[in-house]
Amino acid sequence: MIVWPVYRLTLRALLLQRRTILLGLLAAAPVLMALVYAVAAKAGAHHFRFYSHLVQELFVPTIAAVVALVIGVSAIGDEREDGTIYYLVATPQSRLGLIATKIAAAWTATLVLLVPSLVISALLALEGEVDPSSILWPAAGVALATLAYCGVAAWLSLRTRRPIVIGVLYVLLWEGSIATFAASASKLSIAAYGRALVAERLPEAAAPVVGPAPAVVILAAVAAITCWLGARALARVEL
Amino acid sequence: MSDAPAIEFAGVSRWYGDTVAVADVSFAVGPGVTGLLGHNGAGKSTTLKLCAGFTSPSAGAVRIFGVEPRRNPAVYERVGVVPDQSPPWPFLTAQEVVELCARLHRVADPAAAADRALETVGLDDVAGRKVGGFSHGMRQRVKLAQALAHDPDLLLLDEPLNGLDPAQRREIIAVLHRLGDEGRTVIVSSHVLHEVERMAPQVLVLVSGHLVAEGQTSAIRQLISERPRTVRVAAGGDGRALAGALVDGGVVDAVRFDDGTMEFETGDVERFSRALPALARTTDTLVRRVEPVGDDLESVYAYLHERARGAGR
Repeated sequence: MIVWPVYRLTLRALLLQRRTILLGLLAAAPVLMALVYAVAAKAGAHHFRFYSHLVQELFVPTIAAVVALVIGVSAIGDEREDGTIYYLVATPQSRLGLIATKIAAAWTATLVLLVPSLVISALLALEGEVDPSSILWPAAGVALATLAYCGVAAWLSLRTRRPIVIGVLYVLLWEGSIATFAASASKLSIAAYGRALVAERLPEAAAPVVGPAPAVVILAAVAAITCWLGARALARVEL
Repeated sequence: MSDAPAIEFAGVSRWYGDTVAVADVSFAVGPGVTGLLGHNGAGKSTTLKLCAGFTSPSAGAVRIFGVEPRRNPAVYERVGVVPDQSPPWPFLTAQEVVELCARLHRVADPAAAADRALETVGLDDVAGRKVGGFSHGMRQRVKLAQALAHDPDLLLLDEPLNGLDPAQRREIIAVLHRLGDEGRTVIVSSHVLHEVERMAPQVLVLVSGHLVAEGQTSAIRQLISERPRTVRVAAGGDGRALAGALVDGGVVDAVRFDDGTMEFETGDVERFSRALPALARTTDTLVRRVEPVGDDLESVYAYLHERARGAGR
């Protein structure tokens, strides 16, 4: 399914962009906050509560979402913009394979920026209380949520000329506003399912929308469906 | 599949909102080099995008080797595409670009195929340099090399001579001729008639999205050269004696007097150019200036369009 030459090409293109440096700075914001907390925290402060808020209210719904959306859009949108997508489409590779490869490369680039930030934030905020599960469950939430965001971004970049605007509106308006006070709206929030995985280890944040197993299934399904829709769009839209 | 024409358009139209880019075009193209001629905005690039499967027809059907390319990506094993205005990835070397494309076309030995293709377009000595540092002409040749690397049966080239110097043009034209002689189908677009004449023995002429002429390039050239022309003549005096002689001799079909000049319409411009000096002498008329009117390529296309409409196309 993965077309490895296209995967390597896309990953290289994504990591060489100037935009990636800016996204790296955005991804590093939680590290800065954890550092400030570590320096300023008083004795007896509840480290887990801070870390939980940091991951559930900033990292997953904003930082990870924006980084994944921008990189996911770049993986296809930039090639549509400069015309290099013609060289990939005019080949006998399956459209599903090409889109799956683009999503995989965007996901990899996203994790390259986010995982170090998550780990360093945990080490700084939790001080001596770090255990593997306090990193692994948030990492699983971030990984699966960003996979779904990358899928949505790839599909949007083929369906609209303004994928980033639409993606950011979804993150900020729907997930960041409407879904926070309307319980039914959070069922259509990728971040909510990502947080459901994080909540398995950091339970002090808001009650999860579903348990961890359904969250995994739903996020994987979002990625798979948007990949299929993207492949369908690649075979139909004007390039 | 092998008996089907390399490219077949059946009643193809492509529109964008209210703008019609290609209007009810039908043709079939087989082996050899075929030029796609038309002015800017005539629909050449849209036609090539339809051939390449980069867009779908709004009406009608496009088939490559008997199948719709957008539904059958496997057909691209036999197709090479040189898009216009789309340089390859600037951070890759020429060798990497061509090798990547060969690999994606499932060539058995992509490195060797890339070497051969780069040698064909004369870039073997700079194969290790990044495409981002190349001149426009060199990028054009990288684009051609990536399209040749998998030895395609059908080659689609959108304005491939853009940005090339005369020597490079000659080399690329020689490559296209060789490919055509080998029995491959090559479609090459251009808005320059003499360029198409040098590249392609067959031509399709598009005007405002309509296919207005198709056939031997030499026959189209003949058609163009025989079209009615308008010639403006500035003569001493009122020139009526000269105009009368030209009309009486059947050299011109009509004459119009306009502010000291005369505009003659003629169906045989060569005969007109021979007769004019002789009749000027016999009518004792001083001819100050002779100039063609509407002899630019746009006028040629407009004539072909009018002619096609008159023929009920």
